[in-house]
Amino acid sequence: MSGIRFALREGFASIWRRRTSSALAMTAIALAALVLSSLLLVTSNLERLLSGWSTAAEFSVYLVDTATSDQRGAVEAAVDGSGVAARREYVSKVDALARFKRDNAELEALAAALQSNPFPASVEVQVQSEKQGSAEVEVLVAVLAKLPGVADVRYDREWIRRVTGGLSMVRRLGLIIGLVMMAAAALTVAAVIRLAFDARREEIRLMYLVGAPYRFIRGPFIVEGLVLGGLGAGVAVLVLWLGFRAAFAWWTPTLSSLGALEVLRFLPVYTASLVVVGGAVVGAACGFAVSRRTS
Amino acid sequence: MSGRPIIDISGLSKLYARGLPALRELTLAVERGEFIFITGPSGAGKSTLLRLLLLQDRPSNGRIVVNGYDLSTLSKAQIQEYRRGIGFVFQDFRLIPAKTVLENVCFVAEVLGMTESQQKRRAFQVLKSVGLQHRMNAYPAELSGGEQQRVAIARALTSDPSLLLADEPTGNLDPDLALEIMNLFREINAGGTTVIVATHDRELIRLVGCRTLMLDQGTIVEVA
Repeated sequence: MSGIRFALREGFASIWRRRTSSALAMTAIALAALVLSSLLLVTSNLERLLSGWSTAAEFSVYLVDTATSDQRGAVEAAVDGSGVAARREYVSKVDALARFKRDNAELEALAAALQSNPFPASVEVQVQSEKQGSAEVEVLVAVLAKLPGVADVRYDREWIRRVTGGLSMVRRLGLIIGLVMMAAAALTVAAVIRLAFDARREEIRLMYLVGAPYRFIRGPFIVEGLVLGGLGAGVAVLVLWLGFRAAFAWWTPTLSSLGALEVLRFLPVYTASLVVVGGAVVGAACGFAVSRRTS
Repeated sequence: MSGRPIIDISGLSKLYARGLPALRELTLAVERGEFIFITGPSGAGKSTLLRLLLLQDRPSNGRIVVNGYDLSTLSKAQIQEYRRGIGFVFQDFRLIPAKTVLENVCFVAEVLGMTESQQKRRAFQVLKSVGLQHRMNAYPAELSGGEQQRVAIARALTSDPSLLLADEPTGNLDPDLALEIMNLFREINAGGTTVIVATHDRELIRLVGCRTLMLDQGTIVEVA
């Protein structure tokens, strides 16, 4: 216990003595943690959003305005007979207009000014989860596109796949940038702890000579790194949370139109805690490494 | 362990860079409770021997056994444990300038794991034993050289060591103060602590009058 008390007291005293350089080290850790946690926030929300969209309607079959009920029936029969559909829904022209008005309340005036209903009727098809992205769906889409009365088939899967691919690249790039920044931050923390070591060189030499246990010699440096890293990462999570709240308030109408209001969430407590603990661990590791090099 | 010498050195050699020998095939036994001077000209190997005993350096050859510890086999943690049984005093005192006399002593007591009340009690005891209990709140810069060295001795006694090593402890002091410090070492020795003092001050050795090993070019050339 006396070792822990000593390490805490000396570690905090050292941070306070070198307030400016400690703040610099903390800022470096905070910036690195901010990049990493922003990345986590963006990717986790985009994944959730994409997942919602991909299960909402895999593809829509738009009918020409002159399509007969037989032609619509042929489309529905082709969908039902394909064995890939989990659900299908007919959306009439009236329903489509109503949906547009509901989803785009701010464009109500524009909708009211329309002379005629420009929205086509459609059959929305949700693909069974195990069939998503399969060749059978591709075949069905090609067959439907050629049926009489069909104007177009919008296959959402393709752009979702492209966005998912882009997301994966962003994730990899962000991870690399985050790790590089974390390494730079770790070096800054190590340099600050090294300064603390230089300031206490005589004391440390004395501690070695009198046979002080290693927990007394290394403890203060580990505490210093732990506190700088943990606080830096904590500040990053706090800044990110404030930014998230601000963005949420600022873009509420846009997010609402995208159907994202219910889907978007801040990092779960577990992930946010993991970021803070990660920062603390990186800082403590720097403190340990510096104190080991000095033994 | 009683009956065995507290220090048992055999065939000890230390080569520095470019193969220059600091100690050559040194063999030495020091009994418990002895007071020994190690003397010789500059570069004779006095400080090297003390550095090896304190494990600040490793021998090139030979074996050192102190207090039952074979120094060549100790791990890092064991080295710290071994050092807790040894006190040391340097020529330049090596006190922490930003700490008071009491804090300098308490600091050592604290890093040896003593509780706060134990630290203060022990610090008072050792400062009293060197006659400095009235200067506990002074900073090193406010003390004379003799007083600073007495604080360093008090600090060395904090862990109640069985062996006290002193490297030129009177090198920065005038003759009267040097004798005063030597008398303090004699008192400590009378309490049962083995004391080894490295000095080139022949006059001081003559005044104190103890077993003396004379080193020259890394070997013992005379035992008096």
